[in-house]
Amino acid sequence: MEIYLPIAEISVQWAVILGMGLAVGFLSGLFGVGGGFLLTPLLVFYGIPSGVAVATTLSHITASSISGAVAQWKKRAIDFKMAGVMMAGGLVGTATGVWLFAVMRRAGQMDLVVTLTYVPMLGIIGGIMLNESIKTLRARQSGNAPTRIHPVNHVWIHGLPLKARFRQSRLYISIIPPLVIGFLVGALSAIMGIGGGFIIVPAMIYLLRMPTNVVIGTSLVQIIGVAIVTTLLQATSNYSVDIVLAAILVVGGVIGAQFGVRAGAKLRGEQIRLLLALLVLAVALRLLWGLVVRPADFYSIAGS
Amino acid sequence: MRRALVLGFLLAATPAAAEQLVSGISQDLIQITSNYTGSDIVVFGAIEGEANADNRGPRDVVVVVRGPDADITVRRRDQVAGVWINHDAAKLSGMPSYYYLASTRPLKSIAPPDALTHYTIGLQNLQPDAVHSHHDYEPFRQAALRHLLQDRLYTETPGGVEFLSDTLFRAHVPVPAGVTRGQYNVEVYLFRGGMVESAQSTPLFIDQTGLERRLYNFAHNQPFSYGLAAVVMAVIMGWISSLLFRRPT
Repeated sequence: MEIYLPIAEISVQWAVILGMGLAVGFLSGLFGVGGGFLLTPLLVFYGIPSGVAVATTLSHITASSISGAVAQWKKRAIDFKMAGVMMAGGLVGTATGVWLFAVMRRAGQMDLVVTLTYVPMLGIIGGIMLNESIKTLRARQSGNAPTRIHPVNHVWIHGLPLKARFRQSRLYISIIPPLVIGFLVGALSAIMGIGGGFIIVPAMIYLLRMPTNVVIGTSLVQIIGVAIVTTLLQATSNYSVDIVLAAILVVGGVIGAQFGVRAGAKLRGEQIRLLLALLVLAVALRLLWGLVVRPADFYSIAGS
Repeated sequence: MRRALVLGFLLAATPAAAEQLVSGISQDLIQITSNYTGSDIVVFGAIEGEANADNRGPRDVVVVVRGPDADITVRRRDQVAGVWINHDAAKLSGMPSYYYLASTRPLKSIAPPDALTHYTIGLQNLQPDAVHSHHDYEPFRQAALRHLLQDRLYTETPGGVEFLSDTLFRAHVPVPAGVTRGQYNVEVYLFRGGMVESAQSTPLFIDQTGLERRLYNFAHNQPFSYGLAAVVMAVIMGWISSLLFRRPT
């Protein structure tokens, strides 16, 4: 069955789109990430114009993140204060990202800039997580109590001013690191149609040292805020949100997310981190591959 | 622009010829609805009158369907410091967004190359009105033709026009789902001995209709409300799903 998308102006198999929504929704429920970094490339690969893919993925992210956040909220695993601080940074970042988006698209270097920022970032985050989760798993197997992760750059982060107490996270830290992380992720979200959970989650665990049980819920709340604002910005400035495409993705996404949350409850924290690390590294390698492999066709076209 | 002048000249000049072309299309409006997956239109026609005594060469019919003009940006990847990046680009303005050509025989058997160039008939004679490029744009134009052929937005079908009788002909024109909306032109040329004897042009409109049209208008006329609707839909669906799937842990 094919369905015509009014904004993308193409016909698609709705079952394929629904399947993409389900699969990505499952991962988002499992890892507490929005899944945009997988869904946007999938949609573009399927033939959806990249502008529409970037803008419409955000609706999917909003819905599956809310679905996940409600489940986390019932477990009281959300630090709303932390989410609020990150969101404040995120909104400034989104506005900056929308501006950058326009500049890079005019220069035709969107793909390059996106890939060059993505590859090292995903590579480092994925590598750290992989290393840590394997260590924890080994320690558990050999019967030792899992060793606590040692903080990264703990000293300078604690030296920063503007300290605040985040009761839910049992932290007393400066609000500057969460603001900066929020800003960076907000900018990436506008440029790439991602929620940024796969950056926020490790940043919360390894940089801010938040307890793992509040990380997923808190990152979901921050992602929801940024995704809603970015959807509105994209709808008003680029007219690129396709509501029919969004509806199909959302239906798949929310169902998938519920199964993801159930599956996540059966796994231990370090197992989830190991899987997420592998996924992040796979995406990084795929992007790197596109940069260094001789293209089959040197030319690409873009209509107007 | 030059093309329009040539066609206009042909249309004005041909009534003097003895042989006349009469043609029509099965549909002059294609409406894109939610289940639109592409369709076919039929271009048909007849040749009336007697051929000139001094021109008794073989008779051929060429059908050309052109979509609205578009700007096509072609980028070329080059290896810089070990990485393949978009390096050079050419913007070709005024290329048709859709081009379909059907003919009774291969074009090169119908008319000499310079005649085809003059009438701008055939893929190889599609030239942009304007080009923004620092280089020779020809490789970029060839790349654009190659990509559009692959996407079935450009097609050349020798033998796509069939004669049903001595004077009656017909051609099927596929309109794929991914076409641009707007005004299309269906042009029919009658060739006799390598020259255009008669030509006719008919407009064809492709537009969205029904719910699709209303959503498109909503997105463009009230973008903020539209965006808000998308957000509200996502929020409600997310909420409902978490109610349906109670106690997920």
